[in-house]
Amino acid sequence: MIDFELTSKDQEIIRLAHEQAEIARRYGDYYDKHEDELPPDQFPEAEGRPNPIVLAEETGDGSSGPRILHSLVMHEIYGGGLALHRARWGLGNTVLQTVATPDQFEKWKNHTIAIAITEPGAGSDPADIRTTATFDRETGEWILNGEKIFISQAQSADAAMVFSRFIAPDGSRGMTTFLVEKGTAGFTVGPQLKKLGIRSHDTCNLLFEDCRIPEFNHIKGDFKSTMSVFNDSRPMVGAMALGVARAALDFTRQKLAERGIEIDYRGGMRSRCAIADRFLRLEAAYEAALLTVMRSKWLEQRDVAPKVEASIAKAAGGKAARRITQGCIELLGPEALSEDHRLERCFRDGRIFDIYEGAGEIQRLIIARAILDYTARELR
Amino acid sequence: MISFELTEEQQLAQSMVRDLAAALRPAARQGDDREATPASVLDALWSAGIVQNQAAADGSNSSPILNALMLEELAAGDPSFAMAAGATMGFVSAIAAHGSPRQKNTLLPEFAGDKFRCAAVAIMEPDFAFDVAAIRTTAAPAGDGYRLSGVKSFVPLAARCDHFLVLARCDERLDAFIVDRGARGVDISEKKPGLGLRALETAAVSFDRVELGPGSRLGEPAGCDAQRLIDSSRAALAAIMTGAGRAVMEFAIPYVKQRVVHGAPLAQKQVIAFRLADMRIETDAMRWMAWKAASILEKRGDASRQAQLAYTYAGEQAMWIADEGVQMLGGHGYLRDNPVEMWYRDIRTLSVLEGAAGL
Repeated sequence: MIDFELTSKDQEIIRLAHEQAEIARRYGDYYDKHEDELPPDQFPEAEGRPNPIVLAEETGDGSSGPRILHSLVMHEIYGGGLALHRARWGLGNTVLQTVATPDQFEKWKNHTIAIAITEPGAGSDPADIRTTATFDRETGEWILNGEKIFISQAQSADAAMVFSRFIAPDGSRGMTTFLVEKGTAGFTVGPQLKKLGIRSHDTCNLLFEDCRIPEFNHIKGDFKSTMSVFNDSRPMVGAMALGVARAALDFTRQKLAERGIEIDYRGGMRSRCAIADRFLRLEAAYEAALLTVMRSKWLEQRDVAPKVEASIAKAAGGKAARRITQGCIELLGPEALSEDHRLERCFRDGRIFDIYEGAGEIQRLIIARAILDYTARELR
Repeated sequence: MISFELTEEQQLAQSMVRDLAAALRPAARQGDDREATPASVLDALWSAGIVQNQAAADGSNSSPILNALMLEELAAGDPSFAMAAGATMGFVSAIAAHGSPRQKNTLLPEFAGDKFRCAAVAIMEPDFAFDVAAIRTTAAPAGDGYRLSGVKSFVPLAARCDHFLVLARCDERLDAFIVDRGARGVDISEKKPGLGLRALETAAVSFDRVELGPGSRLGEPAGCDAQRLIDSSRAALAAIMTGAGRAVMEFAIPYVKQRVVHGAPLAQKQVIAFRLADMRIETDAMRWMAWKAASILEKRGDASRQAQLAYTYAGEQAMWIADEGVQMLGGHGYLRDNPVEMWYRDIRTLSVLEGAAGL
């Protein structure tokens, strides 16, 4: 039965996440200015406060479901810009979970594993990666060489799941994944990258120079299984983008109200001022995009792996965050530029979501291929 | 609990109406050219039971969600025909949702029969920069009833309507009044075809000091929540614009795959493919927005905000889709041989309406 109302259980967890996001906001401001410092595993205020992500994932009856709720919790957390509890889970863990052998899974299940795909010459087209592993018959090890860039959780993770080419002893070639632990000789993590926004977000480049890896660390994710982790994460990125957008909208609505501009939903367009009309259109873009996220997450809960809908949610969220954060500053004018207020950071933070984890253009390629019934070769 | 799950009944209705809409599509151009909805189309809409479904005398069958699903499907066939059903649907659902027991008992059975019946909600007025917040039609208390004065514009199928539900100011508030077409002082103008929805036979209806009995006020004696009629209409228009946007997208897809330019199908060029992807993104988003508004209406909650957002968003996006649809077809998009120029006109029309259809 079609329904869009949050249950009381949903509301309880979302309220908790919102409260924590408001506390985390001031830390967010600190790390925005101290980007070389990594936020701690948890902030003092996390003590005695349950991690809302864990609550969302464990929720059952009486809620809208774990995937929907998790995305709504991330939406709240990104409204503050930082989590009180640092994520223990990286996309590399998803690869481990889906393709590792039981022994491999057992060994690394409690590690935080970053995913490393993007390279200086291969971002949107991961088939173009150059990082290569060759097999050393004498030692039974793989030797990895290459560079990975823009890697999330690079510094805080315990290991990286590295997407790489391989040349097998029999000469066969292909794409695969290796789990490379921190401290492995030949594996170095670069300094924190200097970014427009999301400066508290741990992001570095990785270098592999004759990095020797035991065969046991060969996780054997192929191109398809590695890319499919994004079916889950893409709508999540949409939710995060819209968290930033919502923070911008909330602030803007409040400041407009203080100046006597209230948003009236009852009258028509010609009964409201231009500022109110523009605000309302930004709000509509937010709502519309958030519903595409809900749609994708709802499908996921029904065990339908939603590829097109996941891309729709990511593209819609990323686009809305750009439009809304840009628009809110324009609505409030020069005072909104100040670092004393929230919008300045929302504007910078909000720009990432249409870029990382598959730029908006990549989402559109995926959607267009599906609706046009084209292969990747037919539409590039 | 957040859910996009259609009930079995909803799925059946959706697929039945989808087939009906496909069958009606070939008549759309004729409707546009002749400025009339063919009788066969009205009969087909009626025999599908779209309106009668909700005309149970106690109003209990009325379902805004189901109506939204059906209107989107109809509009994906042709927006004018969706409006032809949606107009009467708006009237019937308004009576079902707000009518007094007596009003429901007398009016709803009229729409439960086998024969096509038509009625409309009349909200818009013939003023430039018209807005629902500034309605000028008045219903002044007179005797034990009311005296209605004003002009309503863009009333769908006006000449065929048996009743109008007229939004008017009464004692400084908005209320709705049930007016029979034959009442003294009611004048239905010649139909006035405009830019789009030309098959809809819209006309102005003027009310010159029409004397109405006390039972004419919707939801007698207390009156109704007139804002809810506006909200319902905005949600209906959002659903119809979703279908109209889909019509454009679904028409453009085979064209751009088949049309070769500079050695490759148009569809293989990113500038075209990406616009199609955006059409898909936006029709999805418009649909969920319309559903959300409809589901709030169905629960009898305050839907003003969601209906406004759904309507405004759909108006913005559907216009963009229609515009790009014309562009993708190039010169063929500009010709009346193809339906896209018609939908381009229809969508500009839909996105500025208030009250002309309802859930």
